[in-house]
Amino acid sequence: MSDQAIVIGTFGITYAAIVGYAVYLHVRSRRARSG
Amino acid sequence: MTRTRILFALAGIAVAAGLWLAFTSPTDVVQGEFSRIINVHVPSMWVAFMAFGLTAASSIAWLLRKTARWDRLAEASAEVGVLFTAVGLFTGMAWGQAVWGRAWDWSDVRLATTAVMFFVYIGYLALRRATPDPYARARRSAILGAIAVIQVPLVYFSVNLFRTLHQTQSIRPDGSTMPTEMLIAMGVNVIAFTVLFAALIAARLDVAKAELAVAPAPVQADQGITPPRLSEVEDV
Repeated sequence: MSDQAIVIGTFGITYAAIVGYAVYLHVRSRRARSG
Repeated sequence: MTRTRILFALAGIAVAAGLWLAFTSPTDVVQGEFSRIINVHVPSMWVAFMAFGLTAASSIAWLLRKTARWDRLAEASAEVGVLFTAVGLFTGMAWGQAVWGRAWDWSDVRLATTAVMFFVYIGYLALRRATPDPYARARRSAILGAIAVIQVPLVYFSVNLFRTLHQTQSIRPDGSTMPTEMLIAMGVNVIAFTVLFAALIAARLDVAKAELAVAPAPVQADQGITPPRLSEVEDV
């Protein structure tokens, strides 16, 4: 694996975790609002 | 547009700028491409420190005022802090594997203290889930949140107190050891992650408020069970 691929993968996993958490909060909020 | 959506929109712009600078700024001569990882590693740990500081401040505010919103803010901040500590540990391990040749070393004090901090705040979240009574939960977690923050300066200054594998700070009061372009890229990413942190806190508080609105009223100590009236008990 090239150095650039490792760096892009690290950035990708980082932002996937953050976006994943934001989506989880959005879904949880909508569920609570709909009762 | 709600406050949360505005914050996420601002975070999106800041993150886009941060990513562009992270992949266009010059790389370190020794580390090569891997030096770009500091643009997510350093901002993640910065946000984690800030989050645990906010948890401590909110915990102290709850202990003084006993207002539920301080408890909700402490919880939101700790949860987001745990996420960014996990991201900081992961990005640090990816960088360590590439540059040091090993992802983890328990003998390194910075790594070990960060791992301990991570597990303590997971414990903080577990304590909250294990305590059903809202007042007891707020009180117990506020005490832990106010004490656990001592780990933040311990993690930050561990590289100055114990010289092990992890390098010391690149930005010091007497100047920076980094080239200006790399410093600007990292600075923009720190700002982007800070806005992202604010957006996630706002979203987490929205969840807490929405769940509170539909949650059943907690049973009070004198309401759950009707105490027997001894005067009505017939003598046998």
